Order: sequence, then C-alpha cells, then structure tokens
Amino acid sequence: MNKTLTTTALASLMTLGAQTGALTAEPLKIGIIESLSGAQTSTGRLYASGIHYGVERINAAGGFNGEPIEVVEYDNAGGATEAADKFRQAAADGVHIVIQGSSSAIAGQITADVRKHNLRNPGEEILYMNLGAEAMELTGDKCHFYHFRFTTTAPMRVNALTAAMAEAGELGGKVYAMNQNYSWGQDMEAAIKAAADQGGYEVVDAVLHDVNKIQDFAPFVARIKAAEPDTVITGNWSNDLLLLMKATGDAGLDVRFGTTYLDQPGNISNAGDTALGHYIANGYVNVPEVSEFAEAFKSESGDYPVFVEPQGAFALGALDEALKTLDFGGGEVDVTQVALALEGASYESPVGTITVRPEDHQTIRPVVVSKVVEGAAFPVDGTDMGFELIKIVPAEDAIYPVQDSCDMQRPG
Amino acid sequence: MTASKLISGAIALAALAGLPPLLDAGWQNAMNTMLIASLYALAFNLLAGQAGLLSFGHAAYFGVGSFAALHLMLATEDGLAFPTPLLPLAGAAAGLLAGLVAGWFSTMRSGVYFALVTLAIAELFHSFAPHLKALFGGESGISGMRMPWAGFTFGSTLEVYYLTLAWVLVCGALLWAYTRTPFGRLTLAIRDNEQRVRFMGYDAHVTKTVIFAVSAMFTGVAGALQAVSNETANYVVFGAHVSSQVVLYAYVGGATLFFGPVFGAVAFTFFAFLVSDLTRSWLFYQGLIFVLVMLYAPTGIGGALTDYLRNRRTRPAAPMVLAMVGGVATACGVVFVTEALSVLFGLDYAALRRGSEGLPDFSLFGLTWAPLSPLTWALPAVLLGAGIAALRYGTARLAGPTEGASAAGANEGVTT
Repeated sequence: MNKTLTTTALASLMTLGAQTGALTAEPLKIGIIESLSGAQTSTGRLYASGIHYGVERINAAGGFNGEPIEVVEYDNAGGATEAADKFRQAAADGVHIVIQGSSSAIAGQITADVRKHNLRNPGEEILYMNLGAEAMELTGDKCHFYHFRFTTTAPMRVNALTAAMAEAGELGGKVYAMNQNYSWGQDMEAAIKAAADQGGYEVVDAVLHDVNKIQDFAPFVARIKAAEPDTVITGNWSNDLLLLMKATGDAGLDVRFGTTYLDQPGNISNAGDTALGHYIANGYVNVPEVSEFAEAFKSESGDYPVFVEPQGAFALGALDEALKTLDFGGGEVDVTQVALALEGASYESPVGTITVRPEDHQTIRPVVVSKVVEGAAFPVDGTDMGFELIKIVPAEDAIYPVQDSCDMQRPG
Repeated sequence: MTASKLISGAIALAALAGLPPLLDAGWQNAMNTMLIASLYALAFNLLAGQAGLLSFGHAAYFGVGSFAALHLMLATEDGLAFPTPLLPLAGAAAGLLAGLVAGWFSTMRSGVYFALVTLAIAELFHSFAPHLKALFGGESGISGMRMPWAGFTFGSTLEVYYLTLAWVLVCGALLWAYTRTPFGRLTLAIRDNEQRVRFMGYDAHVTKTVIFAVSAMFTGVAGALQAVSNETANYVVFGAHVSSQVVLYAYVGGATLFFGPVFGAVAFTFFAFLVSDLTRSWLFYQGLIFVLVMLYAPTGIGGALTDYLRNRRTRPAAPMVLAMVGGVATACGVVFVTEALSVLFGLDYAALRRGSEGLPDFSLFGLTWAPLSPLTWALPAVLLGAGIAALRYGTARLAGPTEGASAAGANEGVTT
C-alpha cells in the first residue's frame, strides 16, 4: 500500500528468514492518520517525525513481540471525512494503534470511529493515541477506554502559566483573556476565569473572536488598551497569534503575553522583537536543562526537536514502557492488554514523569513554562531569540479533576 | 447503440453488486465513498449542468442532510422505532426544506450573483455551526451509531455499502426519470433561454426554486448516506472544499451529460484513495488533471469517452496508440520531476545536506540519483520531450486534416 510499509515488510521478512521458528510472530502495527497535505501539513508532519523517532528507538532496542514495529502513514488531508476513510483503511490493514494530533475536529471523528470499531469487533480492538487534540470533551463526554491523550489541556496550561508568571512577578493583577471562538478558545477562556482566584488576578475582559478570519487586530488591541491589563493570556495559534502580537507591537501597547503556541515554527521570526518577554506554557521546550534529549533527537533526525515533535517522541516513550511489561510470546498482539499496560506505564521524559490517569486516560504530566529571550542557547527560526526556562510545573500541580461527563466502560 | 448501452449498464451494475465482497474493507469503503460522491455530483449537476445555475455552496445541503440523518440516528439509539435503512429520508427532507428557503433567495439573481449568494449561504452555515453546539456538536461534532434492523447489524462496511448502493441506484434512477418529465424539459429550457420560458407563461423564479430544492433534496440524501457511513459529522462538512469538490466532479466528468459527473466523482475518489498515501504531492496532480481536462477536453471525461465511442470505427488505431503512449510518457516525466523536487526541497533532504558536504544523492522509486548529474535529469527530459512530441503528433493525426485546429488537444473531446 505504501512505500514505508513495503520496506518494513521486506525488512521483517528478512529478519523472519534469519530467525527460524518465529513465523507466527505478529508485528505491532501503528497507523499515523495525520494532516500530511492541506493547510495543517506543517504541524501534521512534525507529529509524524516525532512518532518516527520514538518508533526507531523501540526498534533499535529490539522491537516488540520479536518483530520491529511497523509504521504506516495515512494522509487525512486535514478533513474529518477523509480521516474516517483513512481509519477504515487502517483497520483493514490490520493496524493495532492509530495516532493523530493536529486537530480536535479530526480527533472527534477518529475517537468515535475507534469506539464503534471496538464495539463491533471484539478481539480486534484498536487503540487511539491522541497526541495533540486538546478539546476537553475528548476526555469528557467522548471519553472511552481505548482513547489516550498524550498532551496537556487548557486548564493544565493556564494553571501552570499563571502560577509561574505570578511567581516570576510578571503576571500582575489584571488579566485579559483573548481567544478563538471554538472549543479550544472556549476551554481556554473558561480555564483563565477558573484560575483567577488561585492565581490572584482579576479577568478585566474576555473576548472570543473568529478563527483564522481576522486580518486586522487593531480594534481588538484598542479594546485591550482600554481595559489596561498587565497580561494578555491567549490560546491563539498560527496566524491569529502572529497578527495579534503584530497589532499590539504596532500600536505601541506594552503588554505581556501568556501564550500556548508561541513555539510554532515561524512565529518568533515573524513577530520579531515584539515576541521578546512573552511567555509560553507547553509540554517541552529546547533549553540546556533538557538538552540531552534534544541532542539525541538531532543525531537521529538531523534537527533539534521543535514544537510538537517531542509530544510524539514522549508518547512513544510511554508506549515503550508499556510494551516492556508485556510478552505475547511471538503470538498475536492483544490491544486490550496494551491499553491496560499503557494505563499503568510511567515514562521518565526529559521534563519529568508522564503517567496516564486511568479514570479518563488523560496524561498527568509536567507543564513547561518558558519565556522568549535574546541570545538563547537554542535560537529558533534563524533569529538570535529563543526560549529560556522559567519553571517546570510538576505534574501534580498542573492536573485538574476528572470531568463528571466521563463515563468510561472498562473491558471485562 | 441502445443494446450496447444496456449491456454496459448491466455490466456496471453486476460489478457494483458482485465485486465488493471479494475486496478488503478499505476498497469496499472506497467504493462506498465513490457511490456517495456520484450521487452528490448527479444532484449537483441537475442544477449546474441541466438548469445552468452554478452553485458554489452545495456543501450547505450536503451538511444539512448529514446532520438530519445523524439526529434521527441518535433518536433511534434512544429507542425510536425507525428502520435504519430509511435514515437518508431525513436527509432528503432536510435538504428539500433548506433548498426551498435558500433556493427562493438565491434564484432571485442569476449568473455570478447567484453563485455568490449560494456561496454566502454555505458560509453562513459554516460559521454558525460551531456555535450551535446542541445542533452541530461543536468542533468534534456529533456521533451516532447505526442500530440493527431486521436481522442486519449494519456493523460491517459491506452492509453499509449495499445500503448506499440501493439508495444511490434509486436516487440516480429518479434523477434520470426527472429529465424525461415535462418539468425536466423545462429545466433545460431555463438554462437555454430563461426569457422564452417566461414568455411561455411559466413563473421562472418558482421554477428555479423548485429545481434548486430538488437538487438540494438529493444532495441531502448524499449527505445522509455519508453520515450513515461515518456515523459522525462536524461543522467542517459545511466547508468550502466540500462545495468546490462537487464542482470539480461535475466539470471534470462532463456537466453536459447526465452521467458525466459520475465519471468525475469516480475519478477523483479513486485517485484520492490510491494516490494520497503514495505521495504528498497528490493534490498537485489532482489540480493538474483538472486543468488539463478543462483545456483539452472541455466536455469532460464523460464527453471525451462518448465522443471516442461514437467515432471509434472511423478513427485510425495507430495514432491513438501513439498518443496514449505519449501521454503516459509525459505523465511519467511530470511525476519524476515533481517527486524529485519534493524530495530535494523537503525537510529530510535538508537534514541530510547539513550532515554531508555538497549535494548528497537522494533515493526515489527505489533507486539512487545524483542531484547534479545530467543523467538524472536526462531521463525526465527524454520522457517529456518524446512524450509531448508523440502526443502532439498522434492527436494531430487523430483530429485529421479538417479538424487541424485542435491539433494541440490531448483529447478528441473538443469535437462534439
């Protein structure tokens, strides 16, 4: 079906020939259903490269079940319908685990597909590792046993961001919430309001705006100016973040930003000096404190890990921990056993321990808060700017309670 | 002629009904997608090809049909006794209703203005839907489950395929029957000369509204079939690409023929199914095919095929073969250049280049190539040069001395 598949198939055939008697061994098959063409390609590609890095590490250490892990890429072209088609293709190809990350809309489709597939095909379950879709309902209303989310969510990011900024004395007492008007932005706004008491700040104004449609943020900047906040917290990504920061710089408004996607490649170089002093809360950032992983990644892939690449690598690290506890003796892969092992796995990532919460399969993980500075150790985008670590907020401080809406049916 | 049409129709039906059980679930699903796309294209073409009203917003009715079927599906999950195979009826009703309202407004204008109004209506749905969470389920959409009915579980792709097949055949037959009715003739008259229709005493606005609503109704059925197949839908189904896709189906397939759009739908869905996981440049190839078809076969694939079948006895075979070989060679050359460039300008190669001096070799199609070697580029140059020459020579001979004007045409479809 695919070049990668053919080469891995050939490779596994050759290893099969080498070791006699292991003819029934079933390799673990991973399907990446990601946006590999269309508007979200740049992000989808990075998820895929992080996953490939993680898989190569497992395979270098001997693979699983006596076979190297096989990876097949499926292009969902950024659409939920296409993702549904690719999921069915992946199921027909006998994939055990599907991985995706770059859109909550697509994640909503895939998680529903996985749930129904598993209901209808007992014994042939498929596990879904969600690397980046942060919509709360995925671990709330839509939660199910075979969905695992290996990323932060809005409350985790906001709690960590406000705590670290307050500790650094850079949050101030007045916060302005500026977000995109869809599930992610709404989750962010709710989280910013919910963290106000604990963070010791007041939300002076909150705005939800159209996603990726606004070319001129000047009217919004005027509103921000009128509200006189110390800090603007925003979940904006891509163009919406960039244009917002540019408009703020153009208007000469001296306000600090607390962001969640400032590390997306291109953001810093486009924003220029405007980006200096702004904060970001995410799952990883290239700093000397955690550079061992960065160097290992670079020697493997040729570049330092950026943006969401570590998410893929860490999730595969957690999977590796889970697989180490399993032994199918070269027989068939039991996905339910893999899921149970993944629940119990604890992975030492370069930024701290990552575990899975069994109640809703949200990962409990540290949140990294950093700041854009000049002359950084790992400059980004060809500028001399980069990130400086402010604080790694421990997992137990960043996590939020399980949502009431999650009603998970467990197997057996 | 009629007999051969009957025979080819029977063969197509037999293939549609008999082939899927022999295929794997991925192929079954691809055929299912193809059927839904075909119905969508046929319904769209009633408006665009037959009535001459080019809609840029058919995603609105496709999406409305999807969500209507899903809500009914959710109700059956909660215990409503409604047979699963009839779920697309909800799509038909919702499409008809939405089509009546939207059609009334948009058909007040014609031409570009009509197209813009339909575009605006679809965009209205697209921007409102994420905010109406109860109705459209927010970003991650709503999700239902097909309930078993009369011994069928509707759990496997194959069962869904046959359900879709039945609906598409019935709807296709109804749409065909429509063209044979006096109202179907009136539809063509609207396209050809609206003024005259008005002078004949018909209310053109009401007529166009009805045509719009019928097209939206069958579009709604297609949307519902997709919802039945996917069991989920989110607001993205109202997006511009769902609207533009069907325009491509219809015009690449051939909007002037009743079954033309089906060729486009089949070509595009299978192209996406087969090529999208092989190369990242598949959207580029898709665009290229569209441009070439529009340039050299304005009547679409369907038009070119009928033209070929009609004239196949009078056409010499040698130039035809030559043109085809030339076409394949040209295609290979284009693919080689595109793939080589996408490797050379890709991230992996950039990483490779940093690790070594000069320009390292790259691998493509299982072979290793030196980027600066003339031999590497001689291959596509020869393929393109010889291919285009053979194509031009062959098509010029095909067109014959009297039709030399279309010598550059890659296809004889230009002559209708």
